[in-house]
Amino acid sequence: MVKAVPLWLRIAAGIFVALTALILLAPLVVVVGVSVSESQFIAFPPNGLSLRWYQQVLSSNAYLTAGWISLQIAVLVTVLATLIGGGAAIAIHRRQLPFSDFIATVFLSPLVLPTIIYAIGMLMFWSATFGPVNIATLAIAHTIIALPYVVRTTLAVLAESNPYLEEAARTMGANRLQRLWFVVVPQCVPGLAAGAFFAFNISFDEAVLSLFLRGPTLTTLPVQIYGQLEFSPDPSVAAVSTIMIGLTIALIVIIDRMLGLTKFASS
Amino acid sequence: MADVRLNTIRKSFNKTAVLHGISLDIRSGEFISLLGASGCGKTTLLRIVAGLEGVTEGKVEIDGRDVTQLPPEKRDIAMMFQSYALLPHLSVAENVRFPLRMRGIGNREEQAEKVRAALETVQLGHLSERRPRQLSGGQQQRVALARAIVSSPKVLLLDEPLSNLDARLREDMQVELIEIHQRLGLTTIFVTHDQEEALSLSDRVVLLNAGRVEQEGAPGEIYNRPATSFASNFIGSSNLLPAEIVDGATGPMARFADGQELALAASEAARGKVTLALRQEDLSLAADGAGPKVKIRTRVFLGARNRYVMTLAGQTLRALTPNDILLDDGAEVSLGIDPARIRVIRD
Repeated sequence: MVKAVPLWLRIAAGIFVALTALILLAPLVVVVGVSVSESQFIAFPPNGLSLRWYQQVLSSNAYLTAGWISLQIAVLVTVLATLIGGGAAIAIHRRQLPFSDFIATVFLSPLVLPTIIYAIGMLMFWSATFGPVNIATLAIAHTIIALPYVVRTTLAVLAESNPYLEEAARTMGANRLQRLWFVVVPQCVPGLAAGAFFAFNISFDEAVLSLFLRGPTLTTLPVQIYGQLEFSPDPSVAAVSTIMIGLTIALIVIIDRMLGLTKFASS
Repeated sequence: MADVRLNTIRKSFNKTAVLHGISLDIRSGEFISLLGASGCGKTTLLRIVAGLEGVTEGKVEIDGRDVTQLPPEKRDIAMMFQSYALLPHLSVAENVRFPLRMRGIGNREEQAEKVRAALETVQLGHLSERRPRQLSGGQQQRVALARAIVSSPKVLLLDEPLSNLDARLREDMQVELIEIHQRLGLTTIFVTHDQEEALSLSDRVVLLNAGRVEQEGAPGEIYNRPATSFASNFIGSSNLLPAEIVDGATGPMARFADGQELALAASEAARGKVTLALRQEDLSLAADGAGPKVKIRTRVFLGARNRYVMTLAGQTLRALTPNDILLDDGAEVSLGIDPARIRVIRD
């Protein structure tokens, strides 16, 4: 039996949890609050109530262009990371490749590599090899840092899958390709979907790579927000941030309804 | 439907031999059981017939054709796994249709008709749209069976398919397997460690021990005339007692280490040191009688029967008796057995 938790520890734990939640949620509350302010300045609590900053964001060319670029990159990254990461996870899971442990480490390494170092390296490498950066540069760079998430979520579902299914499929006449398409891939779907969600989010709000790999016509939404905040701060920054929060929550709800995301939050 | 011929199959894993040259001829439409304890090689042998394992040496023929080098998907077989191996993302009907789809058998309507017929055979027609995880273990079992028979394979391979079911369901499934086999006449190879299952289901039982065929024959033959001490011990769980056969006043007698004697059949020709195989259910116990005296150690109540654990000449002896035979622990009783039921094994 577990010994009863002493009262003081329970109170301490409660305070700790409450503080964590507060620090997590307070910034969001402030951002949403500022976004509906009437004031010219970023101030909390807000003065008055209006949606004028939302109107400003939705009629601002700079925000819309940046948003469109971010969306294009995020969709591209989602597709690329899911295809490559899913394929890598299946190959790693089967352990049929030589150096499969080494390959697994390589695919997970972007998790531990400082993004800023990768960003500098990518900028120097791309400029020296291909010239000016473009939307493909950023999509490739985002794909690299999104890959570990797809690999991990897919490996997690594969680890729980029944290893006899493929053998069973063989006895039912399924050849190699049929087994991959009708047996292995369907089992990966929950992991792929969760990984795709992570990939989209990582790309959509990534700032470090986007900052280093930007060009005159290549500014993503986070970079645009950062620039606005630096040079002419007004509550439009909060309004666009609130829109991003809303989008993310909508995505989480959709994925969770479809597949149960909570299963992967811990893996 | 086809015959299966295994020709001196040898199999080693990392230089450890698990099958030492097994040859078997399985007739078309025969139901054969591979019976043995875990690790005897029975599942490996089945997987070799399926093509999931290669052979180290030997030849596998199905329907007169050498398939030794053929991968499982090119052999016309079906296999039922211990874990059922249903595809979780497909409905019951789609699971059953899977082999037809993979092998390109028939068009959509013909496939649907075959699926319906197979599900009717296992009495699951009403659950065809369910997902496997919504079914009980017994129902999943039936889906796996329907999936195995739907494509009318040349050979049906069953790998301990009943071992995950509770006793009642297992009996139902045994009956169902017998009926389906009678109806479809599929050549069937059934792997089990359960002797009752093997004896009740099959036309022929192949008893395996440590990668070799210990004995093969019809269930009645295997049960009544075990050829070796291993077979006697494994089938019907006999008591094995060392004894010496001597000539007594009335015929041959088995003399135990403590000098007590047990009458043998007059026709018994063996003399000298042997092992007696006495089946638990053949032994009777009486408060007084002519047989050797044994001492009761424990009684285990099994419901319909009692099992008595006793000592005879320092050896442990077990007997199954009707449940109204009640004897006290520590009592000395005399042992009786029909001399014709005693198996004498010359070692």
